[in-house]
Amino acid sequence: MNDAAAAGTVLVSTAALTQRFGSTVALDALDIQMRPGVTGLVGANGAGKTTLLNALLGLRPPTSGSATVLGLDPRSQGAALRAKVGFAPERDVLPDEMRAVDFVRHLAQVRGLPRSEARTRASDSLWLVGLGEERTRTLGTMSTGQRQRVKLAQAVASDPQLVLLDEPTSGLDPTQRTEMLTLIGEISNEHSVSVVLSSHLLEEVERVCDHIVALDAGRLVADGPIAELVGDGEGITLELVDIVEPAGTVDAVESTLRGTGIEVERTGTTLRLGGAGRDELSDRARDAVADAGARIRRLEARQRTLADLFEASAT
Amino acid sequence: MNDATGTTDVRGQATEADDAARILDQRYRPYAGVRHGLAGAMRALVGSSVRFTLGFGRPARHKFLPWLAVVVALVPAIVFVGIATVLDIDLISENILPEYHQYYGFIELALFFFCGIVVPEILVADRRNGMLSLYLSTPLRLWSYLASKAAAVTATLAVITVGPLLFLLVAFTVEGSGPDGLGDWLTVLVRILGSGIAIAATITAASLAISSLTDRRAFAVIGVILLLLGSQLVTGVLVEVAEMDPRIYAFNLGEIGDALKDRIFGVGPPSPLGEDDGSPGLRISELSTLFVVAANAAWVVAGAAVVWWRYRRIEAG
Repeated sequence: MNDAAAAGTVLVSTAALTQRFGSTVALDALDIQMRPGVTGLVGANGAGKTTLLNALLGLRPPTSGSATVLGLDPRSQGAALRAKVGFAPERDVLPDEMRAVDFVRHLAQVRGLPRSEARTRASDSLWLVGLGEERTRTLGTMSTGQRQRVKLAQAVASDPQLVLLDEPTSGLDPTQRTEMLTLIGEISNEHSVSVVLSSHLLEEVERVCDHIVALDAGRLVADGPIAELVGDGEGITLELVDIVEPAGTVDAVESTLRGTGIEVERTGTTLRLGGAGRDELSDRARDAVADAGARIRRLEARQRTLADLFEASAT
Repeated sequence: MNDATGTTDVRGQATEADDAARILDQRYRPYAGVRHGLAGAMRALVGSSVRFTLGFGRPARHKFLPWLAVVVALVPAIVFVGIATVLDIDLISENILPEYHQYYGFIELALFFFCGIVVPEILVADRRNGMLSLYLSTPLRLWSYLASKAAAVTATLAVITVGPLLFLLVAFTVEGSGPDGLGDWLTVLVRILGSGIAIAATITAASLAISSLTDRRAFAVIGVILLLLGSQLVTGVLVEVAEMDPRIYAFNLGEIGDALKDRIFGVGPPSPLGEDDGSPGLRISELSTLFVVAANAAWVVAGAAVVWWRYRRIEAG
């Protein structure tokens, strides 16, 4: 584990970080902290994720507030900072005519590695991301999934302490997305490289990240360990099968449950139950289903999701 | 090496197919060695840009034009050396072959060709494919990125402006018709290097300025060619036909660079007609050396200013 990844270390912190473009507030007085591991930077398109990454890299001075990354000020120590940070932008930045290994080696050299070491690490990084056999192929002949992996390889080739990945699963199919997320998790867990993963897909952030920073229109929605922000919530979810005979079973179950004072939110054939303990809710739900002659498709403890966070923020 | 799921060779790669097989040694490891920082980043970018410009590591079609320009610049020198070797007389002293500074007349076509066709790609490509944003996420900043690119173009152009003359100097020296004595030899060497780099720097600044204004390589090529040839045509007409002030030649990239080269070699420019016929075209020789140097410096500064202005706008966007 590198120094920065020591337990309790804060890799990234911002204080009232604000970025305005004219009258548009892209980042609104953000106070965030990111720790070692995989941090998900999540939000819809236009939430300010890329703007925040640019500010953390020192590419654009903030309108006000401050940031510290790996103990360095991006404004005054940007060059030293960027030598320690790997970055993979969302945009497809690969020159088609270059071989993958030459591209990764070149970026490793630009990030300060000696030529011979850059050559070795370029090859190693491409093996790491599963492109060892493809390393001499030109980038223009690679698939979208392979090109995303090459971007990841160049970001980690110089052995950075921190890697910023801007939408690394963009353009990938579900299988490729799963592979990429697994890879990102491995890089963090097995090689002690901390990762900030920017994404607008909540489920992929939930799948791989230890911490999350959630943004909505430049405002901070949530910041903390994902285990505290999502996971077990209150109540249960009861999903019923929409059967024809007997008719109206879902309505009957809903009505029965409401009659016993249980809080019910209904969406189609799914009932979200609250207002009592889980055991009691389960018993009441079972009884109501039996009385109505309904059939259960799913009965489970309710999970708090990132979507809930954004919904709560919106209200 | 064996593991539970199959055998692996010494590099840790599976040698027997197995659904559960994994590469246990992924080879990626921490690095605690030296890091070269900004200087290393600039060196890497200059090196890769020079290789890119000359077509190394690129398909054959990208090698053809730059090397054609180099060949066009070198062929006359090779012919001159061949003639000198066969005839076995001091052809320069006998005024049979051009002097060193006169060789630029043979290079000019290759130089313009190289600047027009090859140089624009060096800036345009990074903006078009997004590499610029990736470079700026490294220790490089805008100024160091642009300085590296300018250094790469100047170095590559110097292959054309300096290379053939160095070849001539060495070949004539070996053949026995080079400069007399070490002092003269070093003087010629310094003049070759100085004039070659000065001309390369001036044309580099102008070419990069044009290239910075568009993301389309074709437009950049047309712009550079128009600047190089158009400035010759317009200033030539104004001075020689309209008999205007010869200081207008300051806007003629070819003539003002040529004049600087002549000053460095300590001679005036040759008459376009081969004799002093009193035409206004000769009056560039009347311009002071200070004016000639200042005009060339102005091209470099103006070109750099345009590039800087343009890239600041791109960065802000």
